[in-house]
Amino acid sequence: MTELLQVLVTMLFFPAGLFLLANAMFYQWIDRKLVARLQDRVGPPWYQPLADTVKLLANEEVLPFGVNKWLFIGLPIIGLAGALTTALYLPIAGLPPAYGFPGDLIVTVYMLSMLTLCLGLAGANTRDRFSMVGATRTLTQLFSYEAPFLLALLGPALAAGSWQLSDIMAYASGNWLLLTQPIGFVVVIIGLMGKLEITPFDAPEAETEIVAGALTEYSGRGLALFRLGQWVELVIGLTMIAAFYLGGIHNPLDYVIKTLFPLLIIAGLQTLMTRLRIDQTVGMWWRYGALLALVQWLLIFLMGGGQ
Amino acid sequence: MTPSTDRKRFTVPIGPQHPALKEPGHFAFDVDGEIVQSASVRLGYAHRGIEKATESRTWVQNLYLLERICGICSHIHATAYCLGVEKLAEVEVPPRAQAIRSLVAELERIHSHLLWLGVAAHEAGFDTLFMYSWRDRETVMDILEALTGNRVHYSANVLGGVKYDVDDKQAATIREGLDFLEERTLHYLEVVTTDGLFLQRTRGIGVMNRDEAEQSGVIGPTGRASGVHRDVRIDSPYTAYAEHPILPVYESTGDLLARFIVRLREQLASFEYIRMLLDHLPNSPLTTRMPRRVKEGEAISRVEAPRGELFYFIKSNGGDMPERIHVRTPTLCNIASVAQLVIGQHLADVPMILVGIDPCFSCNDRTSVISQDGQRDLWTWDRLRQYGINHYGTHYSKDIHR
Amino acid sequence: MKLGTLFKDALHALFSRAATEPYPNPQPNETERLRGRLMWAPEGCTGCNLCVKDCPANAIDLFVLDKKAKQFVMRYDVGRCTFCGQCMQSCRFECWHAANDDWSLAGTTVDGFTYYYGEEDDVERVLAEPVEEHPVKV
Ligand code: SF4
Ligand code: SF4
Repeated sequence: MTELLQVLVTMLFFPAGLFLLANAMFYQWIDRKLVARLQDRVGPPWYQPLADTVKLLANEEVLPFGVNKWLFIGLPIIGLAGALTTALYLPIAGLPPAYGFPGDLIVTVYMLSMLTLCLGLAGANTRDRFSMVGATRTLTQLFSYEAPFLLALLGPALAAGSWQLSDIMAYASGNWLLLTQPIGFVVVIIGLMGKLEITPFDAPEAETEIVAGALTEYSGRGLALFRLGQWVELVIGLTMIAAFYLGGIHNPLDYVIKTLFPLLIIAGLQTLMTRLRIDQTVGMWWRYGALLALVQWLLIFLMGGGQ
Repeated sequence: MTPSTDRKRFTVPIGPQHPALKEPGHFAFDVDGEIVQSASVRLGYAHRGIEKATESRTWVQNLYLLERICGICSHIHATAYCLGVEKLAEVEVPPRAQAIRSLVAELERIHSHLLWLGVAAHEAGFDTLFMYSWRDRETVMDILEALTGNRVHYSANVLGGVKYDVDDKQAATIREGLDFLEERTLHYLEVVTTDGLFLQRTRGIGVMNRDEAEQSGVIGPTGRASGVHRDVRIDSPYTAYAEHPILPVYESTGDLLARFIVRLREQLASFEYIRMLLDHLPNSPLTTRMPRRVKEGEAISRVEAPRGELFYFIKSNGGDMPERIHVRTPTLCNIASVAQLVIGQHLADVPMILVGIDPCFSCNDRTSVISQDGQRDLWTWDRLRQYGINHYGTHYSKDIHR
Repeated sequence: MKLGTLFKDALHALFSRAATEPYPNPQPNETERLRGRLMWAPEGCTGCNLCVKDCPANAIDLFVLDKKAKQFVMRYDVGRCTFCGQCMQSCRFECWHAANDDWSLAGTTVDGFTYYYGEEDDVERVLAEPVEEHPVKV
């Protein structure tokens, strides 16, 4: 009985579930506020993401003509669930992960991609032209940043000699991998921006070209879930970066400080860059991103980090 | 969209409602993947019937109606109208009034170009530049407000002169504002010409060489970016431009980058010009007497709006209302070039190319009915409405394959 | 090729007060010439009706109670007014001026946009009469 209760709490409140959602909204607000301040604007009040979500949930969900109803409704749920699941293997808020098994790193990374896949499918599911173009771009972008992103995340794993998140984190908490693997750090940060479709990688949802990309036909609940999923990914990504590259996470305060640091970098980069065309994004990732990640690997091997 | 084997027929519609367009216009782009194969332009969504409305208003009232054709280049519309009517009425406007007209027109050009810079940056996804340029634009808006009392629709003109004078205190504020703006404009010029990522989106995109530009008849900064040496302020000077010529700005590369550079450098020229005007403001009254009825006749007046040549045709039958006014705004000359420029470009660059001409749709929409047999033809409201329904109805039934 | 050309501006923006302000802005910067609500003073008015004729928005109406005794009432509809300032220009007796401190004129209902200017008893007399619709010029 207590075990069931424990599972329920893990799923619904902490670290997945409500806590993560609240956390995601908070980080989303910080990102928006930072960008606003960098752009010399006041920015939204702290409850804005919550207000947005509540408003969207209250809105009518329009089922567009000619879509597969089950996919249309199911995809946002699957995407969000995928993003939430990853939290089980990560030290959210500085507490030890709820679960873990050898190879959970790979599961986590693919769970994160699930949202993007769902996004792409959701776009392709509708008959809207903007959604179709957006979906194509989303998936194209997925295939361009995914490999370098994964390679860069595997860097710490190689150094730690394990593909289990808790092992890597234990290894990383002694070593600031930011110092030994700076290239990997850069690739991961930029990869995360690609994953979250943040400027300069926001071609898939470039509003001035294709309205809202794959999400054009979504309204109300579906849109809210997709958005929440993306914000959750932001938190997950930041947690991974902090745990892997910034000397591990030891307590809640440590967690906040170390996740806000990469968020500041992301907000800064976001402010200073222009949206890239999708062909430029792909070119950049394969020309530089993949190469950089490989160079990092080579360095790890040369330094004898790989076992 | 139906799944179709004919890949060329994947049409991406932009407009009439679309986030890239702040005004309604319709563009249909046939794309193959991300590359545009062909494009068509359709206008007329924001037809407001202003030309017809002028025929039932007095000369004075029309000034304000015509000023409202455009919210951005409002002063220049009023100026074009005033110049035309004054020509018809054979009224000599005092030199100080003419100088102030030029002064406000150049201030308006600065605000329009800064606004454009922001919009263009936004289309490229460079929102920070958008925010900064609009923040700095507030300076010139404040100057205009201090000078005339309104941020937009300054209504500085009256028939026969201007309403507001520039005193020493104001001249000082203007100069101060200009110094700040000049610094910022130079900075933005540096940003658009050196920022690597931004250059990727502008250099070599939407290139129009001089011959193409001459052929499609583009005007204004768009034309000048392609090396078309055409500027009404120089070719046929009006207001103060005859006495104090302004420095023209030309570029030759004709790509989007050149359109940025031309507009930013035009701002620099405007700063210089305004400073010069403030130094040489002639002393004279601001207005002269204007008759309420305007002599019979026709007049044409041309001015250089921020977007290019603005053309007014004014016909009077000697009464207190005009018989006919026709307005041709610069966008009409430029918009057709978009359909050619986008072919072969990426879909992602289309909004940039479109905005590159600085379009203003609602200023631009006119209806002309030409009857060849010389018969008078009466279009009632119902008939116009039915015509619209049929027109767009048939157009869309072709486009939507459902 | 440079990256992050706006870095300095962004850094400056981060550590200075934001350029945007919440509305309503606590300290509206009023400019001297700002054209806010138009005000009419009956002194000097000759009832020439020029301002009414020239108003492009048909926002004003003159009620002539007694031309000889100079009893006029001006009805002004701020909802129609375009703040063009032509009435100020047309009147040779400077009856019109724009209040530069009364510019926040929007409302949530359609009421309260019409003002009657003039001597108090005159206004009362006008209001007592049945409301005549504004003649729309065709
Ligand atoms: S400001 Fe213009 S619109 Fe307003 S009342 Fe005066 S003339 Fe009419
Ligand atoms: S123009 Fe002046 S004098 Fe004439 S009616 Fe208007 S307020 Fe009175």
